[in-house]
Amino acid sequence: MEALVLAPVNWLEERSGIVGAISYFLFRKVPRGTNWFHTLGSATLTAFIVQLVTGVVLAMYYVPDPDRAWDSINWITNELTLGWLVRGTHRWGASVFIILLFLHMGRVFLFGAYKYPRELNWLIGVAILLLAMLEGFTGYLLPWDQTAYWATVVGININATAPIAGPFIADFLRGGTEIGADTLSRFYAMHMLLVPGALIGLITLHLYLVIRLGVTPPPWGEDAEPDEPSPNGRPRGAREGLVDPKPRGNGGPAITTRSGVEE
Amino acid sequence: MADDLERPGGDAEPEAPPHAAPPSIWPFAFALGIAVALIGLIISWPIAAIGGAIALVFGFLWIRDATREVRGTPSPAPPARDDEAVELEDETAARYPRSVFLEGATLGIGALIGGIVTVPALGFAVLPAFVDQAYDAVDLGPLDNFPEGEWRITKFKSVADEPEDVSRRTAYVRNNGTLDGQASFTIISNRCVHLGCPVQPQGLTAEEVTEIDAESGPVEITATEPSGFVCPCHGGAYDIEGNRTAGPPVRALDRYAYSIMDGRLVLGEPYSVGSVEGEGAEAQITAYKIADPGVHVDGLEQYFYPYVP
Amino acid sequence: MAKLDNRERYARYKEDVEKRGKPFYPYAMFHDTVMSLVVVSVITALAAIWYFTSGEEPGDAGLLGPRYTEEADPGTTSFVPRPDWYFFFLFYLLRIFKWPESVILGTVGIPTILLILLFALPFIDRRRERRLVRRPVAVVAALLVIASMGILTWEGATAEEPSATAGSVLCEANDLDCEGNEELALGADVFAEAGCLSCHVYAGEGAQNIGAPELTTVGDLGRGEEYWVEWVRNPQAIRPGSPMPGFPNLTEEQLQAVAVFLEASTGGG
Repeated sequence: MEALVLAPVNWLEERSGIVGAISYFLFRKVPRGTNWFHTLGSATLTAFIVQLVTGVVLAMYYVPDPDRAWDSINWITNELTLGWLVRGTHRWGASVFIILLFLHMGRVFLFGAYKYPRELNWLIGVAILLLAMLEGFTGYLLPWDQTAYWATVVGININATAPIAGPFIADFLRGGTEIGADTLSRFYAMHMLLVPGALIGLITLHLYLVIRLGVTPPPWGEDAEPDEPSPNGRPRGAREGLVDPKPRGNGGPAITTRSGVEE
Repeated sequence: MADDLERPGGDAEPEAPPHAAPPSIWPFAFALGIAVALIGLIISWPIAAIGGAIALVFGFLWIRDATREVRGTPSPAPPARDDEAVELEDETAARYPRSVFLEGATLGIGALIGGIVTVPALGFAVLPAFVDQAYDAVDLGPLDNFPEGEWRITKFKSVADEPEDVSRRTAYVRNNGTLDGQASFTIISNRCVHLGCPVQPQGLTAEEVTEIDAESGPVEITATEPSGFVCPCHGGAYDIEGNRTAGPPVRALDRYAYSIMDGRLVLGEPYSVGSVEGEGAEAQITAYKIADPGVHVDGLEQYFYPYVP
Repeated sequence: MAKLDNRERYARYKEDVEKRGKPFYPYAMFHDTVMSLVVVSVITALAAIWYFTSGEEPGDAGLLGPRYTEEADPGTTSFVPRPDWYFFFLFYLLRIFKWPESVILGTVGIPTILLILLFALPFIDRRRERRLVRRPVAVVAALLVIASMGILTWEGATAEEPSATAGSVLCEANDLDCEGNEELALGADVFAEAGCLSCHVYAGEGAQNIGAPELTTVGDLGRGEEYWVEWVRNPQAIRPGSPMPGFPNLTEEQLQAVAVFLEASTGGG
């Protein structure tokens, strides 16, 4: 029986190494202090996956044509079985996704998790935040109702005020000098192909770096700063023999960090 | 996997590649020149010329680099790290031409493939937004609908081949009577020049709407008595000639050119306005090419926007 | 020197995690799974509340807003646009910069500066210290950002629009007896429909932030009805350079009614 289960697993492992990779991912060590604050990142990922799934389903019914876009949204929301749930999930999932992104970013900031060697992952994270807001902006137009249309008008014109490049960015976004059918279809293409593709790529990189560099422990308790003196004067890490407390002439505890260099 | 990161970016320098030909950066500059030239084709000839010049100069440098071997000029040697490295270079010099050729060919072919695929695709994504952008003439119906000295809100279909609910636009029209025997109209766009929200007339508006089936699409005409225009989004306010009186708008409201054909009022292209002096038929208008809302057309800030597509 | 220090500390962190850490699965992953369940439940609950409290008609809002508004009308002259909530801060920022010269600051300048700061953060703050009590600058900056974003979002969410309110609503809001006084009722209607609320605030209605004075208690000034007739007809004749547009197209009767309405507006009296 066990062999029956293991056979395909071994077959797969021998030919791809994927089983090893997954078990490395699952059984890698994370700092002892890892806590609820650290779940914000994976919660954001969950929200993103919800957006992917519901977005694909919505694309089966939505029509990106200014003549019919509003009607198709109306149809999805009011007539199609469970259409309201999928559209509602996509719509509110977007807000939750953005909120979680900001919370996750705040957590990273307060934990100092952007510091060496994780600077690159912070940059990727900011890029993800930007693309997520672009998703919000392009997705907002799709229902083609009054709110959507005018918010997009203002949004595009905000871009137009950028010096030198602004007017060109605006014309590119509109697909011309005026908002029209081309605007809707290019927002649709950006919203469901270009930006999500880029997001998937960046999120993959982000996760790769998290696994490679490890999780930052919380900035409190003994994990806060592995080799600096803790407030009570007892050297952190003494247990592991990483720091050797030497008695000094007056008998008081003196601390020598291994590197002995403060920034 | 993570364990091999004990010393990220450790101090051991990576081994020098077997041959030390410095990869040329000229191809990138060359590509930049081509890109500038292409953009210039859309925007203006001077930019195209600058792009062409960049491409030419760096193309020449590239060719000079690539053919250095053939011409027998030694390539500038990278600063010697130590004697060993120099020896290594001497040793590999014999194999140098072939590897240079392969490296160049691989990069070149790669660039070619990339170019063949991406240039047309990018061009298709970008260019249609900039070329053949024109405004259709719009028939607003007989002049009788615009009594002298009164304002009318007109809603019309602005683009012939787009559905009506996409291309509907609004303009405020006033018949100024005649100037030198020619009919004079003030036709102000309702697009706020702050960020493009719809401006509203400040004053009482009639309830009844006159509907006309004009040649270029249906037109709705409503009487109004504005004493100015106001934008509800961010509080821009304009006087009756479209000059800014308060709030953030950066210029006066856009206007439409017009003509009279067979006793009918026909809208032409919209244009942007710096400011308006005077009123009605005698107004002196500083006109500019139509620009996006928020774009300064006069004053010092106009230099932020040297090219308006 | 600093770099070397960093590397050594990081190596020590790795060693520490290896020695004393816990496996991701199932310890941390359990937390992650619970959190994800919360996220999915919240999203679904929001969707359900949004749907079941709203109606089929466009603009028929429930607890969480309408399902959609009217189909887009590019030619509208009455619609007041609003962005989604996470752009409210930008929306309000644009209202703050109400001078033409400063538009670019609100649209491009400030967002770009924020973005550059965000990208540059790991290169600005290169210290190793992570404990909050020892990072006063970072903590204060974070609190300031949170507070200002919060305030801007709140202001954006509650900003009043120049609304098309009926005259009777104004009367009721300001305790005026319009039902018993036809001229007062006409004045309130003209006031509401002629666009006064596009610039002025009256009893909580109308546009804030344009700089025009609030008119809820303007009757207390005691200017008299004749003054208001002339003022509304042509403000520049009384005070040259006033930004208020004149309303010369109103009839004598309408002007008189507006003057009565303004004179009666004494704030609940």
